[in-house]
Amino acid sequence: MTISLAIDTSTSRTCVAVIENGKILWSGHKDGATAHGPALPALVAEAIVGRTIDEVVVGMGPGPFTGLRIGIAFARSFALARNIHVRGVCSLDAIAAQVTSKDFIIAVDARRKEVYWARYVDGVRVGNPAVSFPSDVLGNEIHNNLFPDLIALVALAEEFAEPIYLRHPDAVATADR
Amino acid sequence: MSAPIVLGIETSCDETAVGIVRGRTLLANVIASSVEEHARFGGVVPEIASRAHLEAMQPTIKKALQDSNLTLKDIDAVAVTAGPGLVGALLVGVSAATGLALGLNKPIFAVNHLAAHISVDFLTHDEPLDPTIALLVSGGHSSLLQVDDITTSITKLGATMDDAAGEAFDKIARVMKLGFPGGPAIDALAQTGDAQAIDFPRGLTTSNDWQTRPYDFSFSGLKTAVARYLEATPDYAKANVAASFQEAIVDVLLLKSLAACKATGIDSLVIAGGVAANSRLRALAIQRCDKAGIRLRIPAPGLCTDNGAMVAALGSLMVAANRAPSPIAFDADSSLPVGVISLS
Repeated sequence: MTISLAIDTSTSRTCVAVIENGKILWSGHKDGATAHGPALPALVAEAIVGRTIDEVVVGMGPGPFTGLRIGIAFARSFALARNIHVRGVCSLDAIAAQVTSKDFIIAVDARRKEVYWARYVDGVRVGNPAVSFPSDVLGNEIHNNLFPDLIALVALAEEFAEPIYLRHPDAVATADR
Repeated sequence: MSAPIVLGIETSCDETAVGIVRGRTLLANVIASSVEEHARFGGVVPEIASRAHLEAMQPTIKKALQDSNLTLKDIDAVAVTAGPGLVGALLVGVSAATGLALGLNKPIFAVNHLAAHISVDFLTHDEPLDPTIALLVSGGHSSLLQVDDITTSITKLGATMDDAAGEAFDKIARVMKLGFPGGPAIDALAQTGDAQAIDFPRGLTTSNDWQTRPYDFSFSGLKTAVARYLEATPDYAKANVAASFQEAIVDVLLLKSLAACKATGIDSLVIAGGVAANSRLRALAIQRCDKAGIRLRIPAPGLCTDNGAMVAALGSLMVAANRAPSPIAFDADSSLPVGVISLS
């Protein structure tokens, strides 16, 4: 019986849940594209009251970088403090798990008028996530307003160490200016 | 019972830093810097810094525990820089700190970066820190502060109107092709130069300025003057330019610091921040403070630049003064005013 603390901050929603054997013991969320910083510890403080957490599972994106890093930095430290394991998941996969269609695309806001997206066929992601202008994402069924399902987040978790950025930092070397 | 153990996390700019103190004893001070990744861009790139913080955070915490021969179970409180600084960078440290505090079920102190820079002196000098005037000079800040109580009362007397002192060093070093960061390069080059060779301007020191902005700084005029000099003098003596430029900055920093001591009647000066590692600033400060009868304190060079020990030190002072911890849910504040020493 593993009790998992599930966290995702890859979208404009800060999502937290405590999950045991595919069942939600506690869940909560707060909306706000720049609210993750204070929202996450507030939600977790409530979630862990009276519970022993056995592992932490965190969404590794893709998603807007600052929010994404809040979830990952927090998850790693919490796990370190409790001396428990932390696992990661591609956040788009945890969103896709709610959709039952045969062939569809999950897209989330990537700022700068772009989206992070991936295609799913028969419930399985086709290739790696990408970042594109919405007009370049072609499919009959595009879901762009869903948030991660934390039961799926835990079910799909694997050893996953690095955040999914998909973009390089913007900077021009002085030599190239 | 021994003094409480505080772990401090600092990520306001490009150093991922974790320090651990017990009371006023420094146990660990580990810094992972991304400065080399920024060098080719001529300055700190926020997104590069934030990514580096996330990558370095856990190894840095573990190294600090290892250096101090402690485990996380021994930590009594967590302290973290809540601002000012780069917001994306700050949030990595803040989130790592709240994760630790919640995981350990220990209090958290969300503290001011500038106050932490000053408070680190308490690890070096065994005497009360306040009241004092504090000159805080770094790549991001140039402030003159009146510290009546390091845990509750810091008042800004003045600050730079344009560039920070360290930023001026970086910019002049770039024009002279000395690399980034510029402070250490100019300091080294100036050793062999004549500081009186070129009379560069001292910003905001006219008699009118002393009336209206006695404790503010301006380095943009100096920067322009140096750039013009370099343009007009193709065969300029590098060492003389470095020494004269450095002298102009150091001179004005100390003129205003000592004026603040005199006006407030506080005969103590703490110089902190990365530029406090500058050898000319240290030497001239000793000379002038000695003459004026002012007690001068400058933290050890390794504690002047951004570090985690300073954050832990301020946390330790908060615990010792029985100040209430911060709420677990708080936001990083890129422009946190210096008067806000810890978030409540």
